[in-house]
Amino acid sequence: MAALRSQPLVAPDPPAELARPPLILNRRGTAWISGKVSGIAEGRAPRWWWAAFLPSAGLTALCFAMIAYLVSTGIGVWGLDCTVGWAWDITNFVFWIGIGHAGTLISAILFLLRQPWRTSISRAAEAMTLFAVICAAIFPVIHLGRPWDCWWLFPIPNANAIWPQFRSPLTWDVFAISTYFVVSLMFWYVGMIPDLATLRDRARTRARKLVYGLLAMGWTGSIRHWRHYEKACLLLAGLSTPLVLSVHSIVSFDFAASLLPGWHTTIFPPYFVAGAIFSGMAMVLTLLIPIRTLCGLEDVITVLHIDRMGKVLLAAGSMVGYAYAIEWFTARYSGSPHEIFAWENRAFGPYAWAYWTMLACNAISPQLLWLRRVRRSMAAVFLLSIAVNVGMWLERFVIIVTSLHRDFLPSSWSYFRPTLVDIGTLAGSLGLFLTLFLLFIRFLPMIAMAEIKGAAARSGARAHGDPDPPGGLSG
Amino acid sequence: MPDTGSFWIRARQVCAAVGIAAGAAAGIGWARDPGEFGFSYLLAFMFFLSLGLGALFLVMLHHLVDAGWSVPIRRVLEHLAMLAPALALLFVPIAIVAPQVYPWLAMADHPDAALESKRWFLNPAFFYARALAYFAIWSVLAWRLRAWSLRQDRSGAAECTRRMRRWSAAGMFLFAITVTLAAIDWMQSLQHHWSSTIYGVLFFAGSVWATLAWIFLAAAILRLIGPLREVVHARQFHDIGVLLLAFTLFYAYIHFSQYFLIWTAHIPEETFWYAQRGAGGWRGIGLWIVFGHFLAPFLLLLRIDAKQSMALMLPLCGWALLMHYLELAYHIMPVLRPDGFRITGLDMACLLAIDGALGAIFALFMSRHPAYPIRDPRLQEALAGAGTPPVSAPETAAEDA
Amino acid sequence: MNAAPVLHGWLAEFATADQVQAAAGRVRQAGYTRWDVFAPWPIRGLDDAMGLRRSPVGWFVFAGGALGLAAGMAMVWFMNQHDYPLAVGGKPMFSTWFALPIAFELAILFGAMAAVLAMLALNRLPRWHHPLLQTPRFARATDDRFFLVIESADPQFAADRTRQFLESLECVHVEAVWEEGPCDT
Repeated sequence: MAALRSQPLVAPDPPAELARPPLILNRRGTAWISGKVSGIAEGRAPRWWWAAFLPSAGLTALCFAMIAYLVSTGIGVWGLDCTVGWAWDITNFVFWIGIGHAGTLISAILFLLRQPWRTSISRAAEAMTLFAVICAAIFPVIHLGRPWDCWWLFPIPNANAIWPQFRSPLTWDVFAISTYFVVSLMFWYVGMIPDLATLRDRARTRARKLVYGLLAMGWTGSIRHWRHYEKACLLLAGLSTPLVLSVHSIVSFDFAASLLPGWHTTIFPPYFVAGAIFSGMAMVLTLLIPIRTLCGLEDVITVLHIDRMGKVLLAAGSMVGYAYAIEWFTARYSGSPHEIFAWENRAFGPYAWAYWTMLACNAISPQLLWLRRVRRSMAAVFLLSIAVNVGMWLERFVIIVTSLHRDFLPSSWSYFRPTLVDIGTLAGSLGLFLTLFLLFIRFLPMIAMAEIKGAAARSGARAHGDPDPPGGLSG
Repeated sequence: MPDTGSFWIRARQVCAAVGIAAGAAAGIGWARDPGEFGFSYLLAFMFFLSLGLGALFLVMLHHLVDAGWSVPIRRVLEHLAMLAPALALLFVPIAIVAPQVYPWLAMADHPDAALESKRWFLNPAFFYARALAYFAIWSVLAWRLRAWSLRQDRSGAAECTRRMRRWSAAGMFLFAITVTLAAIDWMQSLQHHWSSTIYGVLFFAGSVWATLAWIFLAAAILRLIGPLREVVHARQFHDIGVLLLAFTLFYAYIHFSQYFLIWTAHIPEETFWYAQRGAGGWRGIGLWIVFGHFLAPFLLLLRIDAKQSMALMLPLCGWALLMHYLELAYHIMPVLRPDGFRITGLDMACLLAIDGALGAIFALFMSRHPAYPIRDPRLQEALAGAGTPPVSAPETAAEDA
Repeated sequence: MNAAPVLHGWLAEFATADQVQAAAGRVRQAGYTRWDVFAPWPIRGLDDAMGLRRSPVGWFVFAGGALGLAAGMAMVWFMNQHDYPLAVGGKPMFSTWFALPIAFELAILFGAMAAVLAMLALNRLPRWHHPLLQTPRFARATDDRFFLVIESADPQFAADRTRQFLESLECVHVEAVWEEGPCDT
């Protein structure tokens, strides 16, 4: 070790245009950050919040109504038939679980890659992860036909003396999704403890003091505590990174472990993970671009943040594009008539509209993000993020339905059409997601204050050459 | 910077001597049995090619993510990537003996339905044209990236950084396509009945892993003998170590995905590839890869301070290069030696011949140019706080974006 | 508050991280052992300046992960090979390959739980009450101020001398922190 410490030499200053931009604009101080972020969860709900919350709550009610109708009537209320046994249910499941990957990407992978800009968006993205996983978890349960027996999936001793059969990827799913939810919840909550303490210390009413006091667990900010706390966060990030890879890989095994052309292909695990990160990042952008304006957070979630997220979107979109290309190539290269047919049926069969829309949304449209002007235009990035959300839903639809609707027996070929219940359940799950998210920004610290203060104090000191002003520019 | 001119001249002479002697031995092997020579040579060639490609990737990644910490080691990687034109020349023996190595090249009118359906891709003219295109792309990318980097040594201009970023942006796409196809052409098509969509990613993951081990060793040696003494510090070693751990996991994940999906679906047209590699001595090699390529490095790299312990890392990186060679052998050699893995004199001769040739060129590069980008705008950032090793939580070391 | 108030310690407030870091060095030099620094965010290098050891949380995580991996493998083996063998898809009753996804997920789950539980246990959290939390000025410890406390339990503690020592540091304010009486919340 001693040999590693010699005097470094002096290097030239970077040219002005390559200087690192500050993380927080307008040199906002620490007190401003506490006040601004806590303020969102304090005081009266603004009008836009009610305008967003009421329709979302209405859609949530629709979601539960659709589920009640499905459970009381039977799976036949969906558009499923004999070859297409999975359609919108599993598409929605994979769609939501994919969206649930951005939080962990931002909190864990960017944490390990030491990207301090992630601190502005990590908390909201983690919350989004949890809510997306909740939405996702609904679909495998309600598609069972007998949802009340869903506990059979878990290794719980029962009167029949039978156990789950662990050679099936569907049982791996149960473990992967449950673990993912629990670990994400712990990561999110543990990360929030210092900020909950801030809310506790700012609380004026007895009820708020009590609730935030209980949630903050008696956090004081002791350096002795921070030491264990930081280590635990680092390790949770280290554990979450392989976890996030494994969850969507296991979801991909649902398809890839089968023998079906178009499903059984070795690139599925990393391809699904890239797609998950892609769609999750798009959803983060879809939510945060309006919220940064509505909550007045332009100095915390800056144009630079949107620019960086745009780059992640571009990288993930290109990886997904690579997977589309390699799927086509290997189908041709394999020479297997079934593989070739599966691909041609996707691209030129009855669902060609879905395939080409997917390709345009996922692989082509993100390429616009190479342009700095596009990455820095909020409207453009917002529209692109919507396109990616649509494209990634379609990707799962294409994978699932086109591989099923024309099976090995041409007499049973069919064309899947969704029913109103299918559509209502998807719309309802979106409502549930938004409702949970709106409740989150209303009652919990939606930005990781302690982390961003630390990161801003350090990078601010470096960027401006002076330390953070004591007490901050209280505003 | 300490004067190491005489060292590089000496290194060049030694490498050239080793290369010529081993090349002559390999030539004898070629004359005796072109088929066996072809496989031995291909294995050695793929080993060094993967290092060059891994270096090209790391350089482009550095520019695309606007990294700071890796500036001091970038020049060495640029030189390594710049071996691409030399590798193109070293490919000539493979091009000549290809019909003895790739069965489909020799099967002109053979009745093989599986082959007929992929003739559009696996045909001699396209095969050679593709090889030419790969080397042209890699050489131009490596050349332009290094040329702008060297220009920045003189001017320090931000323009050079912008140019390198643009080359990297376009280069990353070309890199992804060419590396995938090269892995299919030169390794997967040894058994043309078999295909796997993840194969390109698998080759890529192993290549970057080995390159990270190589650059750790190279940085440690160059720090010891002088050229990088002032710029490579604990933080660089730590970060290379972290990436090495990440790619240890990534590689294992990719190979597990391929193996597991083939194992569980159990379709004969896929399983034969692994069945062949699970028979005879190759079964043991497979276990060596599981434990030596993944488990041991993974467990050893897990501790946060392990990445800066030279006593651990230097042997580990050497071991990683050995494991990478073994892994490539696992892909290539079962075709020639189905009963088990064996290292022959010819294998060693091929390895040393290519090593000597490339080493001599590398030494020439090192003697001609500054050992690190001396006026890179991010060099200052890489050196900031260099004396103190990174603390345990990355968040508190969050300065470099 | 029935009992007479007991002094918990002296609380010094600092405006910047650098000042509290410098002060921590002085306190440690002066030989105090029962003292602590409170900050709204973790200050780099301060734990070293305070002479704290590395956090052992990692060992708990490693143990948790190993336990989870073993538990996953054992569970799949017990259920599918031992207790309820059922031939499916021509696959063996047990193989490490298909047990791996389950074992992997349980390793992560147990490891993560170990990380959180070890962190809470080592920090003696959750804790419903702390003398500092009823000191009004201390509320800014989660906002933008830095605090240093020397507890009365410290063997070197002397009410006046310690206070004067703290006042000699570059701080904004020094005040007493009282333990609460035993009957209060």
